[in-house]
Amino acid sequence: MEAPVADDRLLHQRVVGGDEDALGEIYDRYAALIFGLVARVTRDRAVAEDIAQEVFVTFWERPLAFDPDRGSLRAWLATIAHRRAVDHVRSEERRKATVLGPRVYEPPAELAETVLDADEALRVRAAVVALPDGLRQVIELAYYGGRTYRQVAEDLGIPEGTAKTRIRLGLRKLAESLGER
Amino acid sequence: MSVERLFLDALAEQATEVPGSRSRLLAAASARRRPAPAGPAWAAPYAGRVAAMDALLASAARWDEEIVEGWNLRELVAHLAAKDSLLAAAVGASVLGPPIGVDEALARTRELQEYGQDRPVDETRRIWREQADLLCARLAEVDPDRVVQPGGVPFAVRDHVLARMLETWIHTDDAAKVAGVRLPLPIATHVHPTADFCVRLVPWTMLLSGFEATTRSVRLTLTGSGGGDWYMPLDVAHVAGAYQGETTDVSLTCDVTAFCFLLGGRGDGFTWEVAGDQALATDLLTAAPALSGP
Repeated sequence: MEAPVADDRLLHQRVVGGDEDALGEIYDRYAALIFGLVARVTRDRAVAEDIAQEVFVTFWERPLAFDPDRGSLRAWLATIAHRRAVDHVRSEERRKATVLGPRVYEPPAELAETVLDADEALRVRAAVVALPDGLRQVIELAYYGGRTYRQVAEDLGIPEGTAKTRIRLGLRKLAESLGER
Repeated sequence: MSVERLFLDALAEQATEVPGSRSRLLAAASARRRPAPAGPAWAAPYAGRVAAMDALLASAARWDEEIVEGWNLRELVAHLAAKDSLLAAAVGASVLGPPIGVDEALARTRELQEYGQDRPVDETRRIWREQADLLCARLAEVDPDRVVQPGGVPFAVRDHVLARMLETWIHTDDAAKVAGVRLPLPIATHVHPTADFCVRLVPWTMLLSGFEATTRSVRLTLTGSGGGDWYMPLDVAHVAGAYQGETTDVSLTCDVTAFCFLLGGRGDGFTWEVAGDQALATDLLTAAPALSGP
């Protein structure tokens, strides 16, 4: 789950103040996600490791490029990660095109400069629709409806713990179906 | 945005594999931007501001633009290095750049500004940063309560370091404003001792400004992260401390950062809530910047 804004703000203050432990905490919190995100795009573990590390180093080196009032730290790191991964894939494709010659090699469709390109966003939406009703309902309320766990529970007349469990189960199922590409 | 958040939450549920290692990351990171200078805990507020200025300089696009006092960014960094070097000399740390000719802030500033004039800006930046590192390292061996007089100003070393924190903070903020960058606040544990130092300066600003107020007292409530509540007798023979229900001539309430900046000579648009003697509050406001230099 995404960290509260107050956490992002304090971690950002600490990183600007040159506190390495704060960078370590950010890494512990988001490294697996960022690595997973990059690996999805590059399909190369070693490359994904290097790119993921570079994302955190970039944040450390120029922390003032991030503004906690404009969005979450997680989304900011994910955007940088996605851009770097896409850049890598593009330069690989260009290299292959040079080796194989332009007629043999067909370059892939343009990749967008966001965390989610349009195709991937459609796949996420389709995966939500394909969820079993009980899970689809909670996910739609929590993400498209912007409702909190408690509000989701109230809307559906179920205990908060049950709402939380269903949302997590829904997220896991989504991740599974998004993994099958 | 909602789909993006959903996508990241879903990936996060599944992501378990952590790439590389924390220590490899930290080594790579500190090679690209140095962490805060190492030193004793009481110097950490200053070390944090050095790191913040360094972060700002890392993405500085223009070094020739005027920031403050008619100085561009290079000259401003030379000024910070100059004042750090006077404190360094006073506590027995090595001094970088040309040797100190005159132990006075503006004279030393001119020495370092002239030294950097025909050299690459990186040279001024390097002298400033390495001087800060040397100063912090030396502070670990210095009694913080020892009184020293860099530039002829007698304070305990601890307070000189807080003065360096405040000045580095304010000038980083000056430069960030010109660059259109939002500078986050220092953490609360760095703001609080700096605010306490500023509070203790107030009776001196009144004395220097010629206001006769030695029998008067103030309750000062500083709001925001790192703030607090102080009882402040306006007599330099007494030291301000935590407010404990004393009766005072006036109660003042304002934001802690705004108060520190007021003492540092950045009081434009400053306001506080006043309960009690209005005339005394006006005198305090007039006197507050009396100790702020360039």
